[in-house]
Amino acid sequence: MLPNRSRLSVLVFLLPPLLLYGVAVLFPIMQSLFLSFFSWNGISDMEFVGLTNYVRMLTADDVFWRSFFNALGYLAICLVLQLGGALLVASLLTSMRRGRELIKTLYLLPAVISTVAIAFLFVRIYSIEPVGLLNQLLHWIGLGALERPWLSDINSVLTAVSAPEGWRFTGLYMLIIYAALLSVPQELEEAARLDGASRWQLFTKIRFPHIMPVWITTTIMATTYGLRGFDIPYLMTNGGPGQSSELLTTYMYKTAFTAQTSATQAPSPCSSSSSAWSP
Amino acid sequence: MKKLFRTAAVAAAAALALAGCGSGTASDPSNVSPTGEVKPREISWLLSRPADGAVINIMKKLADDYAKDHPGFSLNLITTPDRPSYIQKLETLAAANKLPELFDTDATPFAQQLAKQGKMVDAEKLLKSLDVYDDYRPSALDYQRFDDGSLNMIPFQFELEFIWYNKALLQKAGVSVPKSLDDIPAMCTALRDAGITPIAIDGQDQWPLERYVAYQPFREGGPDFIQKLKKGEAKFSDPAGEKTVQWLASLGKAKCFQDGFSSQGYSDAQNQFTSGQAAMYNIGTWELPSLATDKLNSATRNDIDFFTLPTTAGSVTAANEFVSPSGIGMAVNSKTYDPLVSDFLKFALTKYPSEYAATGALSPTTNVETAIPANATPLYKKALEHANDLGNKQAMPWDTQLDPTTNGRLQQELVLLVQGNITPEQFTSTMDNAIAQNAPKFFK
Amino acid sequence: MTAPAAPVTRPRATPDPSESREPLRRRRKPSLHGTLSRVIIALIVIVQVYPLAWLFITSLRTEDDFATGDPFALPKAVTFDNYARAFETGNLGMNILNSFIVTMGANLLIVLLGMMAAYALQVLGFRYSKFVRSLFLIGIIVPVQIALVPLFIDYSSINLLDTYPSMIIPLAGFALPMSIYLFSSFFEYIPRETYEAASLDGAGPYRIFGLITLPLSVNTVVTVVLVNSIFIWNDFIFANTFVLSEELKTIPLGLQNYIGAMGKTDWTATFAAVCVTITPLLLVFLVLNKAMIQGLESGASKG
Repeated sequence: MLPNRSRLSVLVFLLPPLLLYGVAVLFPIMQSLFLSFFSWNGISDMEFVGLTNYVRMLTADDVFWRSFFNALGYLAICLVLQLGGALLVASLLTSMRRGRELIKTLYLLPAVISTVAIAFLFVRIYSIEPVGLLNQLLHWIGLGALERPWLSDINSVLTAVSAPEGWRFTGLYMLIIYAALLSVPQELEEAARLDGASRWQLFTKIRFPHIMPVWITTTIMATTYGLRGFDIPYLMTNGGPGQSSELLTTYMYKTAFTAQTSATQAPSPCSSSSSAWSP
Repeated sequence: MKKLFRTAAVAAAAALALAGCGSGTASDPSNVSPTGEVKPREISWLLSRPADGAVINIMKKLADDYAKDHPGFSLNLITTPDRPSYIQKLETLAAANKLPELFDTDATPFAQQLAKQGKMVDAEKLLKSLDVYDDYRPSALDYQRFDDGSLNMIPFQFELEFIWYNKALLQKAGVSVPKSLDDIPAMCTALRDAGITPIAIDGQDQWPLERYVAYQPFREGGPDFIQKLKKGEAKFSDPAGEKTVQWLASLGKAKCFQDGFSSQGYSDAQNQFTSGQAAMYNIGTWELPSLATDKLNSATRNDIDFFTLPTTAGSVTAANEFVSPSGIGMAVNSKTYDPLVSDFLKFALTKYPSEYAATGALSPTTNVETAIPANATPLYKKALEHANDLGNKQAMPWDTQLDPTTNGRLQQELVLLVQGNITPEQFTSTMDNAIAQNAPKFFK
Repeated sequence: MTAPAAPVTRPRATPDPSESREPLRRRRKPSLHGTLSRVIIALIVIVQVYPLAWLFITSLRTEDDFATGDPFALPKAVTFDNYARAFETGNLGMNILNSFIVTMGANLLIVLLGMMAAYALQVLGFRYSKFVRSLFLIGIIVPVQIALVPLFIDYSSINLLDTYPSMIIPLAGFALPMSIYLFSSFFEYIPRETYEAASLDGAGPYRIFGLITLPLSVNTVVTVVLVNSIFIWNDFIFANTFVLSEELKTIPLGLQNYIGAMGKTDWTATFAAVCVTITPLLLVFLVLNKAMIQGLESGASKG
């Protein structure tokens, strides 16, 4: 604690952020919570139902649990791709001499492209009729048996929607990890090398422990954004087929406007956004 | 801190309660000829139509014309072409009690609740008072009606849905146009055997597949089946329901739709058909400009034809009764309805049909002739002529009928059923459960 | 939030962003390993760059070629019609401007307020700081979708719906926890002595913030801005919920203008529009490339 601080100065620094956060995040969340005890579809009269919505969500809503576990799967795949990929590329980069700046820039490119375009591109890549890039590749390398409609197969769809999200932000985390790897003291590595340490030992004993704090930061960042993953699955499959790629976020988005479906989605005015296009 | 929270919670409750229940003083929805002076101002129309489409362009032009005589008037068009996003906005605005003067909606259960609360002007009375009611095609108005026959939305389009097909591909597979819906699975098998994709479908937008679930019950039980089903008075386990479930499963088994259809979008599906890779494609007359003009791929142009929804043995509806939607309708907010809105609507609705028909589209009225574009193929005229020969009943798209939760679930389960991921029995029990759980809240 | 990461390097009193460390890794043996990593890197770069190239090529395809041709082959003919249609139907300039305003506005709040909160929590410290930290943790865990409907209703009751702040406020609010976290972990490693020395010179908390903390944080600021800009520029959900009028639509909403009847989308025009709308971001990227990446690296390794 700073010696000269006063109660006032704490408030001066703390209140503005707390105010914004309260208005934009806490207050609406509380409103949601409040509404979750009611049955209300936005235009009907509000009817107090107590914990009914929660009981239904936890016991009778199969889609809620499905999307909950899907969200965990989605997060896991994103983390593996983002952090694993980032670590791999960052490690490779440190061993390069030229062109590192260029590669780092190129690596960030997918992050700036609109999600709409990314989703469309991947729908084509995964397509089987007409045959898309992925199935074509599998065919060429003799793995034709693996060809499938990736986004329609209930076993592959979750992986298929997670991969683009994982892939596109890898560059961001790679930059951070790369920076951390650069800060590993050279003397330490040289010494270990002289002692005959293998590349792998070098990595597990020296480099990784050294970047551990940054690794944690990066993991927290990637987890935050992974949990918020929404638009790619929403645009590519809309949670389908069935509920195979429904995440908590897409499910909430749909039920946010569906009367009284679940308590997570207490706000629940009104009807579903998944209602389709009638001409 | 705790105290602060408690205060905030109370405030939260109050804010929402106010927004939700302070429904304002809705004026009498049946008073369609408000008296008083026409005072020009800006009015808004919350709509969900293509940003550069005919409806918007014409209404913009008409509003500009109207503003010339009524300085100060302007029509603010707030369009959200993406339908799911639109529905979200409409319903939240309704919850916040901030609906604009005009807004688009289908005849959904939600809209029906709005109408019951007196928030929408009685469109039948309105059209009659403007002396245009009799110009409208009865089926265009019927499409907009709620179950009880009340009319609160005004149509701006009229479309017919056909099954388009590629003659050359059918010939190659040695099959002919199906006489009955029940012929389709066998037809698909033959087409698949000939290496042809039987039906191209836009699985991503979900409504196209939902059309298929409506066909068998419409033939088997007429338009009533869905009216009862949505309220839980009929079930998928009833004969008509069972028939459609079995039929969809057999469509799936015969691999009628392209592999991986569930993630393919509108343009992909249409391109498969127009490029001669798929034999059939179920779409409405809004696609005439791309299917029946020289814009169509020259390789397939002469091979393309269409048939209307096949009947079945013992069908209670006739061959000239099928899906003929008049599009999302426009509702008039009764709270903000005043002499100006009334006067503008009178101006716009009388001028709209001729402008719209001039674009080559079918007007929801019968008092104008659709102009056939210069580059049209003979199919264009053939398609339009069906509009003059329609029966009294029409198949309603189910997505406008079911309550939103059930509808969402149905769309998901349909894909699983057709893909063979669930059995017809599982489908039936899931859906009947969903209806039993959700319908009572909307149709009590 | 409660256990900020330790830094890798302690920040020097005056960090020099231009000082980027060359890896001294001498190539011992021009080995298999070296070749292999080069091949892998090349492959990965192709995977990263390909989508952008594909996007650009597709935006030049004729509608016919797009409809019938192999989507992964080179186009048979090149056309700029798609760009013409994109500009005719859409309102790209305005969309870009709006995205720019929203991104800037949100970033300003995120950085400024994030830094202030982190300063209060990490440097000044107070009795309930643990509680406040856990409050901010909620914003990391809770999905934004929960707040949409209440916010919509609140906004409409105070006439904030359909304004820039209606997008900026929740975007900033939900990004704030991450920003606070990054700044806190960075502040933690500004040596105590630096502050104590300044305090002894009579500097109060405001002067310390302005003279020490702020200038030292430049790199973390760059990190926070870069990461958030990427997410906010492409934000769909808040803009889609709170914006109604054409004049306020951001890029992701503007792209909806190419959706036609019943969901049929004019994809080639959409891609042309995407190419146009990512150009500003790409330019910023390329021009500020070095500064940003260095900022990100040094900022990140300390935060």
